[in-house]
Amino acid sequence: MAAQYDLTSKMIPFLDLHLVFPLLEFLEINELFYTPTTLLEARYELSLKTSMIDLIDKLHGELKDAGVTPAPIELVERRKEVLEKLMNSQTEAQKVMDVIENPEVISALRQDKLQNLQFLKDNYGMTTEMIQTLYKFGQFQYSCGNYGGAADMLYHYRVLSTDDTLGLSALWGKLASEILSGNWDVAFEAIQELKEIIDKTHFASPLHQLEQRTWFLHWSLFVFFNHSKGRDAVVDFFLQPAYINTIQTSCPWILRYLTAAVVTNKRRKNLLKELVKVIEHETYQYRDPITEFVEALYVNFDFDLAKQKLAECEEVLENDFFLVSMQEEFIQNARCFISETYCRIHQKIDVAELSQTLNMTKEEGEKWIVNLIRDTKVDAKIDYKENTVLMNNNTQSVYQQIIERTKGLSFRSQVLATSIEKREAAQLKAAQHEKNHPSTVVSETATKA
Amino acid sequence: MSRFFRAAESDSDDSESDYSDELTASDSEDHSGSDSEDDSSSDDDGAKKGGAAAGRGRFFEGALDSDDESDDDTVRVVKSVKDKRLDEIEQAVSGIANGLKINDWVSVQNEFERANKGIQKAAGLIAQSGVPKFYIKSVAELEKAIQAAAQKEKSASKKLNPSNNRALNSLKQNIKKNNRQYESQIQEYEKDPENYDKEPEEDEEQEVKKPKVKKAKKVVVSDSEDDKEDEEEVEDDGFTPVGAGGKSIELTQDNLYKKLREVVDARGKKNTNREEQVKILERLLVIANTPYQKIIVLLNLISAQFDFATGISGFMNIPLWKNAEKYLNSLLTILEANPLYIVKENVPDVDDEDKDRLPENGEPVLIQGSLVAFVDRLDDEFTKSLQNIDPHTTDYVDRLKDEVGLYAVIVRSNAYFKRLDLVDSISRTTMRRLEHLYFKPDVVIVAVENATAALLSSKASKDSEALIHDLCVFLYKNANSLQRTRAMLCHIYHHALHNRFFVARDMLLMSHLQETIHQADVTTQILFNRAMVQLGLCAFREGMIKEAHTCLHDISGTGRVKELLAQGLQAQRYGAVSPEQEKLERQRQLPFHMHINLELLECVYLTCSMLLEIPAMAQAGNSPENKKKVISKPFRRMLDYNSRQVFTGPPENTRDHIMGAAKALSIGEWERSVELIKAIKIWELMPGCDKIKEMLAGKIQEEGLRTYLFANASYYSSVGLESLGKMFNLSVNTVVSIVAKMVYNEELAASIDQVANVVQLHHVELSKMQSLALAFADKASGFVEGNEKLLETKTPQPQQGDRKKGGALGGKEQTGKEQGGKQQQRTMGPRGQRGGRNQFHNGLGNSVRGGRKNQQQQQQ
Repeated sequence: MAAQYDLTSKMIPFLDLHLVFPLLEFLEINELFYTPTTLLEARYELSLKTSMIDLIDKLHGELKDAGVTPAPIELVERRKEVLEKLMNSQTEAQKVMDVIENPEVISALRQDKLQNLQFLKDNYGMTTEMIQTLYKFGQFQYSCGNYGGAADMLYHYRVLSTDDTLGLSALWGKLASEILSGNWDVAFEAIQELKEIIDKTHFASPLHQLEQRTWFLHWSLFVFFNHSKGRDAVVDFFLQPAYINTIQTSCPWILRYLTAAVVTNKRRKNLLKELVKVIEHETYQYRDPITEFVEALYVNFDFDLAKQKLAECEEVLENDFFLVSMQEEFIQNARCFISETYCRIHQKIDVAELSQTLNMTKEEGEKWIVNLIRDTKVDAKIDYKENTVLMNNNTQSVYQQIIERTKGLSFRSQVLATSIEKREAAQLKAAQHEKNHPSTVVSETATKA
Repeated sequence: MSRFFRAAESDSDDSESDYSDELTASDSEDHSGSDSEDDSSSDDDGAKKGGAAAGRGRFFEGALDSDDESDDDTVRVVKSVKDKRLDEIEQAVSGIANGLKINDWVSVQNEFERANKGIQKAAGLIAQSGVPKFYIKSVAELEKAIQAAAQKEKSASKKLNPSNNRALNSLKQNIKKNNRQYESQIQEYEKDPENYDKEPEEDEEQEVKKPKVKKAKKVVVSDSEDDKEDEEEVEDDGFTPVGAGGKSIELTQDNLYKKLREVVDARGKKNTNREEQVKILERLLVIANTPYQKIIVLLNLISAQFDFATGISGFMNIPLWKNAEKYLNSLLTILEANPLYIVKENVPDVDDEDKDRLPENGEPVLIQGSLVAFVDRLDDEFTKSLQNIDPHTTDYVDRLKDEVGLYAVIVRSNAYFKRLDLVDSISRTTMRRLEHLYFKPDVVIVAVENATAALLSSKASKDSEALIHDLCVFLYKNANSLQRTRAMLCHIYHHALHNRFFVARDMLLMSHLQETIHQADVTTQILFNRAMVQLGLCAFREGMIKEAHTCLHDISGTGRVKELLAQGLQAQRYGAVSPEQEKLERQRQLPFHMHINLELLECVYLTCSMLLEIPAMAQAGNSPENKKKVISKPFRRMLDYNSRQVFTGPPENTRDHIMGAAKALSIGEWERSVELIKAIKIWELMPGCDKIKEMLAGKIQEEGLRTYLFANASYYSSVGLESLGKMFNLSVNTVVSIVAKMVYNEELAASIDQVANVVQLHHVELSKMQSLALAFADKASGFVEGNEKLLETKTPQPQQGDRKKGGALGGKEQTGKEQGGKQQQRTMGPRGQRGGRNQFHNGLGNSVRGGRKNQQQQQQ
């Protein structure tokens, strides 16, 4: 049943070759949806397109073990070829590296790239073509699976290069390398940089930009769900209008991750309304238990359905590469949402029923409610005799309302008065002659104040 | 032409005076024509006139020939006079040349006038032997010289003396008028300036066979007889065909081109008998046997057919239209059969028009002409005729049957253009094709496609959605922006028509058409309105009342539905419409079969309004500030009017039904409301009307519950959920869900007691004092705000600095707002001009507030 909610196949087109491996491995390890052999085969085919000879070899062997005989390949020759190429580009890149790593050079480098380029050209005879070799070497290393080295090269390339388009792809490459080598902090920085570039660059066609954004949305998932600050970032980034539009037009399934992030994010509850709107809009295009849960809770106020969906969510989360780590947290928060909404609407709640709604036993439920009351400062009491929770409705009294409404008035008037004073002073200074009007405004505000 | 006939019939003595009449008539015509145009005649202008003049030249020559016989003797007598006159002219001409050499324009002018006088005196002579060549030469040279001089004069620093200048200017005007008379000769001269006047002999072109006057007298009796003869001629060669002026015409292979050219030249002139022309062309068509001949005859024949349609209001009569269609089809057949003949626009001119052209070495023969213009015209005429035929007659239905043929022509020509790869023509025909399809339901589209496929013996596309999609996608990719817009709107309309609301909505929003549509031309705006209305109806069918209302509100709320949808002329209250405007509007009207049923539209709109407005009214209850929020003005007005009536009879029309239902709903009688709504007859016109009625009943139940709660909240402290459910025949779960929503959205001050299964209503009754205090607080804050605004407006300069500082903050807020605005559009927010204006205000308010916040921060 959960297979229909598997997003792997939908997401793969938007990911880099190398980024697909972890997804497939995840599926294989958890024995989900597909038979292990098909997954193995898929991985094998993928690896053929890369230069990771060892991996190919290994997968080849594994496939044989699994009883499938793949077409024989000339691994030895290929390995030789790859190594040769690697050596070549390394020697070329080394020339550049030698220069750059020279402490004198490092100290001479400035902020201005063009100037740097000129400096290197003048003193060390470096050309743009030579700098390009860094890029090529980085790319090749990436293709070989040496992500650390690739990230390094691409970093140096980006420092030196002035080519915007290549710079962008170098940044993509760097992001991928960092993701694959698990440097989440660096990757996070790369993500931010990348986003800035995508938003700022004026792409020739909007379609191109849309594509870039779509890629960005997918790649960033790796970082956001592994980095400590990632949850906030997901919410911040994805809910920006440009990215919401991207989600709506090209990849509605990202909504799942956005929803999960919003639900687990304690601090940003006010964003929920916005999210609900988007989810409502996209229900015809995309729905899964996670969005349906939110829909049931905040659109239809159907607590039974929400409960049911919550159970489904658990399963879906468990099978999702990105969300598996936050399954527990999601469930906790979702429960919190349910009970909060429940409390807001109800005055008297049967503890037993509430616990049932939250998929808990009665004792657990009671504990839960106590915690809830303590954490969220809901004005409620548990009546043990009747086994109910009593909510104290807190409508604002009229006095309070009036106080609220008139709170800022005196201050605002004060500001007015001072600004008028300022103005008059300015007027005095500017035009030395007659003070033409101690205007009507002054008298009015004076009375007001 | 009638005069022409008369001339031929009457004695030949008369004819001369008659011809001079013709001459003056056509002269004045020419002048008026040139006056209205710019005097600086552009190239193509000149070419056109050249053609016309050439035509007339030949005409004169023809006339001369006929005179020859009768006036033979007079010619001989005036021989010496002729010489004298010619000498006179010759002198004047040499005077002109001399004057030109020394740049003495005054003398040139004098000599020119003398020469013209001489020409006038020698009119009789000239009629016989043609205009003297040396005169033509001189005049042509003179014109060139004048033009050159005028050019020089403009740029020269030293001006001519005033009298000289004046002479030059008047000459400039005169020569133009003068030379127009001799245009053909001048052209001839210009072709070969050296040898022109050396040729001693007059070139006698005898294009028209010498008339046999006697025979003509016998034959030209009446039109009907003529007609009969025409038909016979085709089969029977025993008769001689008779052409204009009672001259018989022998149409053969040889003179086909000449005749054709004559017809072409006569086209568009006054006194041209169009019927006659068509007949000639039809006969030519029979004679033509090579593809080239056939193609050019057909091209002209089709244009001739279209020439019949006159004026703006009139429309081409149907037999003619059918003829045009037939010929266009046969033209296409020929072109399809002979791929080496290509009809194209902007083909380089070929000189030897009179020869049959054959493709050489695989090089295709290019022929000047515009098929796509024919198709456009054919389609336009079809629409025009539909606009003019009373839609409630069988005529209309009969006419509508022709659409299949027309559609086939469009498809066929489209295929032809595709073969030639003429992108512009392809998109134009594709657009036409789309516009014939987009408003039709699936079944009809499939039927049309099948019929067309049968006509063209191609395969029909079975899936209308895919067909429309393909057409639209083609247009998105290839067409210009207007066509893209229209294609998009058609696509939206089609989606909406087939209940694909979300797809249609997303297309509409993604295209951002709402923002730009008010800049578009009127017909596109109409299309936009149609798409919008259809989208609203679609939302209604899908049970999305709110969306339906927002879609329809802009159009149905205005009371100018007819005008906005181009479905009939609105009765103008103040008579402010000029006849021209009305005419234009009439032209824009859509044919009846494309109409969206207005009564149904109104019914849907009012029903939506009712479902939204009644609970809102109940919610507003007694608090006056909420009362101002009106969702649908027309609905409110109608309801007010209805409730002011002392006696209300049983509902008769749709409106009465809805008003009755609304009233019943507002007092909680949902059953009666449902009954009334269901009794509306017009629902029958909606596909799946039973389902819609069910849906409406459900909505009325829910809204009834909401209304009931709003209206009676103040009288209860608790209401049982179950009894509510019973009252409105809803399940307890639904009731809970509805109440929960109301509570959560803070519409209703209440909470649910789960244990007792009741809704607890927390009603806070405000004392008089309290409510007054609240009002006072509001007023006070309003006052402060007013002061702030006042200060803002009164002090632009010193405030500027503050604002600039606050700029970063305020600016950010503003952009945020804008983006929010964009976001809102996805949710069917306010649209169009009004939306724009609102945003503008928001922007202003924002910057004010932004500035203030900043100030506060500074203070702190």
